Amino acid sequence: MALNKETIVDQLKKIVGSEQVITDEQVLKENSHDRYRKFETLFGIYSLPIPAAVVQLKNTGQVADVLKFLNANKINCVPRTGGSATEGGLETIVENSVVLDGSNMNQIVKIDPYNMLATAQCGVILETLEDQLREQGYTMGHSPQSKPLAQMGGLVATRSIGQFSTLYGGIEDMVIGLEAVFPNGEITRIKNVPRRSCGPDIRHVIIGNEGALCYITEVTVKIYKYEPENNQFHAFSIDHMKTGFEILRDVMTSGYRPSIARLYDAQDGAQHGFNQFADGKCVLIFMAEGPARIAKAISDGIEDIVGQDPACNKIDTRVIENWFNHLNWGPEKIVQERELILKTLNMGFTTEISANWDSINMIYENAIKRIRKDFPHIDDLTMLGGHSSHSYQTGTNMYFVYDYNVLDCKPEEEINKYHIPINALIVEETLKAGGSMVHHHGIGKYRTPWTKQEHGSAYYILKGLKDVFDPNGIMNTGTIFPVE
Amino acid sequence: MKIAVCFKTIPEYDMLSSHDWKVDDQNFVDIRYVKQVFNCFDESALEIALKISVQQQGVNNPVESTALTIDNQGADLFLKHLLALQYDKAVRIACQNDLDLRFNALSVSELISAYVKQMGQQLVITGAHGGVGDNRQTGLLVAEHLRWPCISDVIDVNLSGYLDHLRVTSYKKGAFLSQTITLPVVLVIGNAPDSPCLRVPTLKQKLGAKTKKIAVFTQADLGMDSNALTLKDKAFEGFWQEKSDQNCDFISAKSAREKAQFLYDQYLKQRLPG
Repeated sequence: MALNKETIVDQLKKIVGSEQVITDEQVLKENSHDRYRKFETLFGIYSLPIPAAVVQLKNTGQVADVLKFLNANKINCVPRTGGSATEGGLETIVENSVVLDGSNMNQIVKIDPYNMLATAQCGVILETLEDQLREQGYTMGHSPQSKPLAQMGGLVATRSIGQFSTLYGGIEDMVIGLEAVFPNGEITRIKNVPRRSCGPDIRHVIIGNEGALCYITEVTVKIYKYEPENNQFHAFSIDHMKTGFEILRDVMTSGYRPSIARLYDAQDGAQHGFNQFADGKCVLIFMAEGPARIAKAISDGIEDIVGQDPACNKIDTRVIENWFNHLNWGPEKIVQERELILKTLNMGFTTEISANWDSINMIYENAIKRIRKDFPHIDDLTMLGGHSSHSYQTGTNMYFVYDYNVLDCKPEEEINKYHIPINALIVEETLKAGGSMVHHHGIGKYRTPWTKQEHGSAYYILKGLKDVFDPNGIMNTGTIFPVE
Repeated sequence: MKIAVCFKTIPEYDMLSSHDWKVDDQNFVDIRYVKQVFNCFDESALEIALKISVQQQGVNNPVESTALTIDNQGADLFLKHLLALQYDKAVRIACQNDLDLRFNALSVSELISAYVKQMGQQLVITGAHGGVGDNRQTGLLVAEHLRWPCISDVIDVNLSGYLDHLRVTSYKKGAFLSQTITLPVVLVIGNAPDSPCLRVPTLKQKLGAKTKKIAVFTQADLGMDSNALTLKDKAFEGFWQEKSDQNCDFISAKSAREKAQFLYDQYLKQRLPG
């Protein structure tokens, strides 16, 4: 028989102590969602079941003890650190869920400059780690917009990516070793070695698991020398996204690795004020970094490639440098955003996908066309566009951005009227063209209708992981794996 | 009812660091690379006028709203934005004699009032002040030129239900004052915690605005001699940066209560009056 809320709370208090088990109603409400439901929560509406408790964990042993209890009693849990998730992955959709908050596990365990490694507990804020590294002349090279908010556990759990990914890669390219706890309380450590050939790379069972398989308690990442004095910015305006994708491809396949390689369409660029410098144009942005000679070689290569296209016009690089230096989202921007949404009832969301070079432009064009044609509330849209911000040898991503005025609906109806249907159209067009429906936010709880289609026959492997590691289905129900 | 809302765009100062402030020989700081935004007070003024227009829909004596700025061509993007938001007219006054209008509220107000006299508006709304040329004089001087009454620190405006009357709320020294006023009037929008933000135009509205025209006026168009405006009210001597040394101490303690007590004992207690 399922335990009731009071018993769950009592048992948790016995395991970790009462001061670490939070049952304050407002705290529970705030922990029942993430930024996916930012609109309704602005109005004080929390339409999901609120968790039975939030457990503030202090160490790996406590994580193991709590998970063992939850697993034995088949109680759903939602692992959580910085809370900056955007895809509903932190939503507590099951009654009497327990939120496992790792944000107090916030020690930087070791910075090892000789082996170029940094080890941090799951609750270390990325910016805190990065600041300490930079003080010593190093960087992790990971810089998502959420850097001031996101914490190491969540970043790894969602396979996050940062603005310098074209050089440093996504978080999966940075993680060397891990500690994670599985639902049965098994504590596992993957050791820190540069490479090995000892069976499948088991780091990838943990990286990107979105709290649906295990709880990440500690992460070791590689670090790099930090040499910002060599950074070189480049910015160009162009007429069409297709040309921009071609240039991105030329840069990447020619072997250059700028840390930033971005392509904005005119609509998305206008959101950032680029239209004041290149009205009606798409904008290409690059930053070269690293040792001076490498940065120069990359810069020269970019200039050569872009210079071959007469339609490309240079933009004052100070525009881009200034914009880029203010791109990150800290708590103050979250507050400003909340105030603005309340005053204007204008909401903005994104859907990020990826595809090979031969289909990315088609997906971009088809998704925009499809939304214009099939989305029933197109008249409420105030912005529809996007950008590519992470490129690879074989393709790139597309970050669709859509804003709308929320009209004639209750706050809690907003996601069903606007966000979910637009997201669905983009995902459908992407999968139709052979792309991937999620580039770096994680599947969360709102793209699960397409998880099987995304993985195709390989879903067998993914499902196998769930069956083996979480046979009782207590880990973040509804995330990655659809509720059946 | 004919409304003119005067606005200006300013650099987004949040995007600037102290090292960006490099003053040249002409007392200009090069911030051409910084994104321009609506001055926040003007943004509230623009939104208030839109609200009045919506309130007046379906009533006799419809509102004709004009967005007015004194600027170069760079402001046209903002004027188009306002046309998309259903402003009836978008007007830019292009000052031709390269006069430095920063800190020159007198000349700015002369241009605005010349336009208003020519076009016959009955309500002029301005923001209290902008970041550059922070003089708080423009609205008051416009009222003086037009010989109209002026209400400052306005935070809200609504139709009163009577022809050519408005219900105006202002906020001064912690008190709210609501009054019904007769047109014509100049309203100066002040600061309030709930200052309205400009609504966001839809894609359809933006598309519709593409073909709408922006009217550009010169001083001559306003019946003014091109040399009539000068820097006659004050001389501009220069910029400097106030410097103050600040220290940052981190307070370590077991709890927020202990931290607060330490802060009080060590830093605040001696500053408080005995």
